[in-house]
Amino acid sequence: MKYAVIDKGELGRWFDSLKEKGKIYGPKKKENAFVFRQVKEFEEMSLLYTPTILPPKKYYFPQKEFLFKFKIDPFSTGKAIKEFEEFILFGVHTCDIAGIQCMDVVFNEKPADPNYLNRKEKMTIIGIECMDYCDKYASCAAVGTHVYKGGYDIMLTDIGDSYAMHINSEKGENLVAGKKYIREMTEADREKFNKAFEEKLKKFHNEFEGELKEVDESFDKGFSSPVWKDVGDRCVGCTNCTAVCPTCYCFDVVDEVSLNLNDGSRYRVWNYCQMDDFAKVATGEDFRQGRDARQRHRYFRKFKYSVQKYNKYFCTGCGRCTRTCMAKISLVETVNSLLAERRGK
Amino acid sequence: MSKPKVAFFEFTDCEGCQLQVANLGPGLLELTKLVDIVNFREIMSEEGQEYDVLVVEGSVASKHDEERLKQVAAKAKVIVALGACACTAGVNNLKNLKDLAEQKKIVYGDVDPVSDAIEAKPIDEVVKVDYYIHGCPIYGPEFLKVMECVLLGKPYKVPAYPVCVECKQNENICAYEKGQFCLGPVTRAGCNSWLPNHGSVCVGCRGLIDNPAADAQKDILEKYGLTVDGILDKFTLYCNSKKERAKYGKEFKK
Repeated sequence: MKYAVIDKGELGRWFDSLKEKGKIYGPKKKENAFVFRQVKEFEEMSLLYTPTILPPKKYYFPQKEFLFKFKIDPFSTGKAIKEFEEFILFGVHTCDIAGIQCMDVVFNEKPADPNYLNRKEKMTIIGIECMDYCDKYASCAAVGTHVYKGGYDIMLTDIGDSYAMHINSEKGENLVAGKKYIREMTEADREKFNKAFEEKLKKFHNEFEGELKEVDESFDKGFSSPVWKDVGDRCVGCTNCTAVCPTCYCFDVVDEVSLNLNDGSRYRVWNYCQMDDFAKVATGEDFRQGRDARQRHRYFRKFKYSVQKYNKYFCTGCGRCTRTCMAKISLVETVNSLLAERRGK
Repeated sequence: MSKPKVAFFEFTDCEGCQLQVANLGPGLLELTKLVDIVNFREIMSEEGQEYDVLVVEGSVASKHDEERLKQVAAKAKVIVALGACACTAGVNNLKNLKDLAEQKKIVYGDVDPVSDAIEAKPIDEVVKVDYYIHGCPIYGPEFLKVMECVLLGKPYKVPAYPVCVECKQNENICAYEKGQFCLGPVTRAGCNSWLPNHGSVCVGCRGLIDNPAADAQKDILEKYGLTVDGILDKFTLYCNSKKERAKYGKEFKK
């Protein structure tokens, strides 16, 4: 069974059946925004939502992640690898699933990161397809993440009174097996499903004023562009753009000693290239002095370096960096400026 | 080995930071297993005059303060500045906005109970400070972190990044999105975005980060319909010392 269908009225019942598998995290409303939180009852969730303040990244790459314990005297260190509990991410957008796929590539690179991989192994992803733009900040069509391309266990697509379920793994298969209220997709369902997809595609368009190939070239030629000075002048250095990005994976490692001054714990904490001292070294040199150099680095990390290294764009088009920027620095505008500049020459 | 002795002394301030220490509860009791507190008038009546670690709260605001600080500092091996008043002169800087004589007239009228008053200044203008614990008041967990560093003999690095780093990791709704003016983007972190976590805006009590983007900040204010005078007013409360002013003065064009 690759495709299944569940009536909307039964989704809550299915949700209840997932509870025994582990904690469920889903999108919840917080004032005028949304956040991923633990969900105990189906009704607490908002399945129609604009991308959450932080991506679900916080569950597989936490803001502050315990790595191991140590003792100073006599010196000893604990095991780095810890058993994690099963958990389910419910209602993840395709842009955030693309973010998870990017992180997978990074943390699988040798030497592979055991903490990340062990945590990932316990994670079940139930995605939900966006049938229209969440808001004006998204640029998912430009990078092709508005449609699903794997990376989940089950994907839900709204096809009217029911959801189509694309089952993409054995884990996903097990979550629907034996449920009387989940049926195989019929011809009529498939027609609705195809129609919904057609209608959806009409709503999305490339947000960049050029194809990715051209974007790629404009980054090739754009390292010394005046665009960066403009962005740097407007940037206040709050670091929000990197904090909310689903593909930013930089971290710092810190040791904390308890008050007996002998037992300690090692943690990794999120660290951002937008921090003032991120590229400062012991001699006092700063390899990326200035907010222009730091912003440029952020963009190159998403559109150039990752393509060179992993053959993958690390922008998922979620729009979070633009949405969160109090200086209103827009990713789409920045990329379009680079494109325009290249065409002008 | 005997336990290191720690003494708390207060100068010109409200003693609210010491109250934060007194309120630490179990954390403070843990700490007393490692150190002997010999002087701390909010929690004890004894007054020991021998100590290794001197925790100074408050600004220097009179000749008497200055002399007394030098005296108490001479006996200490390590000096910790506790709270905004000690670290940056905090709200006491407000006094420096006007000429001293004029300021005295406004506050005391015809009497002069502090004849040796001077411009308020942070304690590092008088003695060498080894550790800074910023904030008005200080953030309790940071105090314990700093004390660990003191006892282990390692430096404590005050975060160089802004409060937004902690605020975003706590998934607070940005004050700017609510049309409020928040000093988070230019204020040094370390308080775990204490105020925004409770729905308030950051007031900058920990002082400015080393390189605040003052011009970019000004553009933001304009976008949100706020004025340059508005930001200067907000800076006045906590970020008004010479050191703090220099940070935005060099870039800030009105």
